[in-house]
Amino acid sequence: MKASRYILIRIVMWVLTIWMGVTLIFIIPRLMPADPIQNMIAMMEHQAGPMPAAEREAMVAQMQRQFGLDESLWNQYTSFLLNGVLRFDFGPSLMNFPTPARDIIFRNLPYTFGLMIVSLIVSWTIGNIIGLLAGFRKDKLSSKIMESIAIFIYPIPIFIIALVFQIVLGFVLGWLPISAVIFGEVWSAQWISTLIRSAALPMLTLVVLGLGWWIISMKALSMSTAQEDFVMFARYRGLSEGEIGRKYVLRNTVLPQVTMLGLSMGGVFGGSVIVENVFNFPGVGRLMLIAVGASDFNMIMGGVTITIIAVTTATLIVDLLIPFIDPRVRRS
Amino acid sequence: MIKIENLSTSYKTIHGDVRVCNNISFDIYENEIFGIAGESGCGKTTLLKALYDLIDPPLQIDEGRVVLNGEKNGEPYSFASGNIKNAWWNNISYVPQAAQSVLNPITRLKSHFLDSIPKERRKMESKRETLDRVQKYLEELNLPPDILEAYPFQLSGGMRQRAIIALATYMSPDVILADEPTTALDVVVQRGILMLLMRLQKQLKNTLVVVSHDMGVHYQITDRIGIMYSGSFAEMGRTDDVFRNPVHPYTQMLVAALPKVGDKSAKVGIPGRPPPLTDPPQGCRFAPRCPLAKDICHADVPAFKEVYRDRYAACHFIGENISEVSLV
Repeated sequence: MKASRYILIRIVMWVLTIWMGVTLIFIIPRLMPADPIQNMIAMMEHQAGPMPAAEREAMVAQMQRQFGLDESLWNQYTSFLLNGVLRFDFGPSLMNFPTPARDIIFRNLPYTFGLMIVSLIVSWTIGNIIGLLAGFRKDKLSSKIMESIAIFIYPIPIFIIALVFQIVLGFVLGWLPISAVIFGEVWSAQWISTLIRSAALPMLTLVVLGLGWWIISMKALSMSTAQEDFVMFARYRGLSEGEIGRKYVLRNTVLPQVTMLGLSMGGVFGGSVIVENVFNFPGVGRLMLIAVGASDFNMIMGGVTITIIAVTTATLIVDLLIPFIDPRVRRS
Repeated sequence: MIKIENLSTSYKTIHGDVRVCNNISFDIYENEIFGIAGESGCGKTTLLKALYDLIDPPLQIDEGRVVLNGEKNGEPYSFASGNIKNAWWNNISYVPQAAQSVLNPITRLKSHFLDSIPKERRKMESKRETLDRVQKYLEELNLPPDILEAYPFQLSGGMRQRAIIALATYMSPDVILADEPTTALDVVVQRGILMLLMRLQKQLKNTLVVVSHDMGVHYQITDRIGIMYSGSFAEMGRTDDVFRNPVHPYTQMLVAALPKVGDKSAKVGIPGRPPPLTDPPQGCRFAPRCPLAKDICHADVPAFKEVYRDRYAACHFIGENISEVSLV
């Protein structure tokens, strides 16, 4: 397989994944028994009192036209793909009418992405270094302790980790804010310092969440790689353990770990939705939960669509990195 | 040359000690190809590990030692078990078994050559100089020099084994240990590899130790051969002499079982199987399978003694008169 073919396949897969995701997101709300327009009118009636049947009919028709729900399903679908997926135009947010949902989502997206990327890089790097040492020098006491800690933290649910940090670091020790408070002009010193303080606990939670998995998987990988013939032969040639660890074990184990990094992107996003809500961090996850509570359908559709595109794109980037680090993919 | 002095090794396992080499003493000379033959589990590879000083748990040396001495660049050296590691690649090198997976799959061949340069030599020449030297060396061996830029998966099995042999010999060591160098290769490629090893040995005038269970390999390339059985040598001598005139009953039965061109008689194997090394029989370990065994064979371990010049065997019935031992 040539590298260009590999890249082409990845890009086709990327398009297909996005297409399948957004199609599902289009279909699911339309399968629900609840009618959003009836809901909205019921809400209005609840606030302003009942309205006459004729007025009510006219209102339904007018709103259906406004939201494009009077058109055929196929037309709705194509206009969703064209306007929503390609132009990110999801219509106005219902809870912040008439601000476009897109603008609010894009305002929140950098927070989520910053949180995800920094915590992923930190936990991936630290986890792999610890895992490599634990697997390559598996008889050392420190390796065994590290692995035990990893096995201990791995199965703890993320919200428990979040709550423990919140209680210990936020409440008992009082070092960091329990709930995110970010203020000041964007990129001002005040904004940066409040951002860092507010992001510290969510980030720490996500790092710890990932750490256990990266340590355990890297340990297993490097342990089996350390028993490969080519590592043995390197030892027979008199290479130092450090050289063997770096050039032979690490270089071979980092490849599957990069692949795993791409695959873990979706999971980390899920984690960040929970963490954002626990710490009240102003990311897309927090926004989505509020939008669901407020039945802001445009916002939900937009948030999920943009998230699907963002996560699959991040995965694509990681996939495209692989040929650069694995000669077998590049050359064969 | 290598002196093996009264060497005994064993594997410490939970089922007890597995004594694999028992009181082995012999010399491997300069400028010769020495073959170690024997069936699986007889201790060939363990002996080779002891020669190369690859003594890692559970393997340990119980007694005796291996001494490697010689002269390189006009300077005499001597290494004994425990510090032979310091002589690796400069004075003694190793061509491994299962050679198909011994190269790092994601680095180029040249980095294997650069990695293997012993520490003290790294200061003496730059990477460029080393690669130039390796390139010339590959040309001498009739190997395409551009394999240095290749990844292991881009080479055929035979080419990979040749590259590994080049990797084991480009520092011109005095001793090369080859553990089953032709396993998993077809006969045509095997022949090429054997010819390469022989040519190298002639060129470097060094010692080549070949471990193989393939008697054909030994017959083709070795000068002297040692036949191992159940952890120690049964017989040792000049290869052609051992094949023509085996003196130990095991070797006699082994040679009789080899197919020969033009010989249409049915071949019979040696009945029975080797004793377990955890619980070897008292006396001669071959006695339970030996058609000539007498009471003494079941009681006393026969000494490994010189039968005549350069010919050794371990059997109670080899005395002054060799013809006493014959196959029925």
